[in-house]
Amino acid sequence: MKRKRYKKWLTMEKKHTIEGYLFILPWILGFLCFFAFPFFQSVQLSFSNITKITGFEMQWIGLENYAKAFVWDVAFVPYLNQAITSTVFNMPLNLVFSLFIAMLVNRSIRFRGFFRGAFFLPVLLGSGFVLQQLLGIGVDQQATEVARGIVMPDEVLMYLGPNVINYVNSFMSRITIVFWSSGVQIIIFLAGLQSIPVALYEAAKCDGATVWESFWKITLPMMLPVILLNSIYTLVDSFTSSTNRVIEYMMFLKADINNYEYVAAIGMIYFIFVFLLIAIIFGLSRKSIYNLSER
Amino acid sequence: MQLNMRFIGVKSTLSKWNKSNPKINYLVSRMLSLRHSGTLIFRLVTYLLLFDLAFIFLYPFFYMIVTALKSPVDMMDITVNWIPRSLHTNNFTRALQSLDYFRGLLKTSFVTIFATIGHIISCSMVAYGFARYKFPLRDILFVLVLLTIIIPTQTLIISLIILYSKIGWLNNYMSLIVPTFFGFGLRGGLFIFIFRQFFLGMPHELEEAARIDGCNAFRTYWTIVLPVAKSALLVCTILSIVWHWNDFFEPAMYITKPALQLLPSKLPSLYEFLKRSLQQDSIVSDTFTLEGVVMAATFLVILPILIVYLFLQKKFMEGIERSGLIG
Repeated sequence: MKRKRYKKWLTMEKKHTIEGYLFILPWILGFLCFFAFPFFQSVQLSFSNITKITGFEMQWIGLENYAKAFVWDVAFVPYLNQAITSTVFNMPLNLVFSLFIAMLVNRSIRFRGFFRGAFFLPVLLGSGFVLQQLLGIGVDQQATEVARGIVMPDEVLMYLGPNVINYVNSFMSRITIVFWSSGVQIIIFLAGLQSIPVALYEAAKCDGATVWESFWKITLPMMLPVILLNSIYTLVDSFTSSTNRVIEYMMFLKADINNYEYVAAIGMIYFIFVFLLIAIIFGLSRKSIYNLSER
Repeated sequence: MQLNMRFIGVKSTLSKWNKSNPKINYLVSRMLSLRHSGTLIFRLVTYLLLFDLAFIFLYPFFYMIVTALKSPVDMMDITVNWIPRSLHTNNFTRALQSLDYFRGLLKTSFVTIFATIGHIISCSMVAYGFARYKFPLRDILFVLVLLTIIIPTQTLIISLIILYSKIGWLNNYMSLIVPTFFGFGLRGGLFIFIFRQFFLGMPHELEEAARIDGCNAFRTYWTIVLPVAKSALLVCTILSIVWHWNDFFEPAMYITKPALQLLPSKLPSLYEFLKRSLQQDSIVSDTFTLEGVVMAATFLVILPILIVYLFLQKKFMEGIERSGLIG
């Protein structure tokens, strides 16, 4: 009897709302415990000094930790600079190559399954210590030297002079790490390519478009949202990888408990830069998506 | 009549030309037909590129296996490149011993399995709420989900350490497992995003039918939606397993006791340990042995996920194509 009354009391819409909140309830709890609370504490910590280690009593000291990072600490700014430049330079390379590979694999080719499996494999190496060990030994350079030799033999490059060889070699050794970190991006691009309706290509072909033209007029515009997704993934991935100097530095600093407030400040600076970069990407992509829809 | 004669003439000159080898003629004509998308040259270049790229991607694995199987003598011998003279398993036994492999394997699998289960349950549920229900603040909350993807853990790490030390989760696997049950932990937001994209692309009819037949919301989700979402589940499971297995930052931060360390975190200390022990051991004190053992250890660390991936690879790829990750 009581239950019936309760049901009448709730309208259909209210019930719907409550059910929705129930589904995301675990996330809201997690957000409060594992995100919002630590985030605000980090902000607070970055502006203060720990006076008592037991119980973490803090004292407000203003911008001192931030000043320390930029003015006193000789190591931090170069590391930050390095992390940002390598990310900014590697991201476009990563996107271009992973889109290229995804398009190669998306064609009807033999051993398709093998290639798809192979291009995802380096993800299993992760971005942690396993990869660091390999890079320490210089496996990336060996891999590119052999691979480059197949496509562009040294004999051919000799005609272009030693400068070109050096240039190509240094470029290729930089690119291996990009390749190895592009597994997930390739897969996201593959999924995106699959979602483009075939009818568009067929129509373009009937109207006399070449493969090249249909890439620029169909594939690329249709893939813009996927490219946006991928560029953000790449950015976040490279900012959290262990080959990143800032992270190495933070792990080194964290060993001493007196550095906690300083590490928090570095973390906040780091986040601000990540956020700025993402905002720039969003701004650029909105403009380009808008331009394409104008056409 | 005349036309016909002329036609035959052209044909005969052509056939004279080709008499020597019709096969070559076919190939030449295929190569020259540039407008045809599948020309032979184009195909050859494609395959060359593909195999070349695949080589770069597979090289680390080949290198690891081959180096691990080399004896120190083979390492020094410059003529031994890919095929060791004899299969040298000493590196592996040594790595197994110094990694304390099987115990480490158990711990790492424990953490990985439970964290993955947490991610799958919580993220799919939360994503279902975001995809199928309309409630106030929904869009703002979803922007917050995206924010959790963007903000690196590094920013929060100190407060998390303080929090976990207060509730006694430092040096305890709880700190790695429990957040995943709330849609957090390692890239939890990304999984919510993937699941939401999938649910948005799914037709409503099945759920509506179930609701009309009197199925409640949670049961609809559990017995109707989840079984249909197999491909998204598979994709997320694999990604979650791989990422958790290889995660280095959070375990290194929370778990500092050597006895509790997970396999990947053991690698750097292993390297130091081996260096020291090799210096004492005067007979084999050279870096070549060290490299062999380190590669064997590295290979052993990723071997379990390699096996898991090879088994699920085909379905994983199908799942990615079908799941409509990009709506």
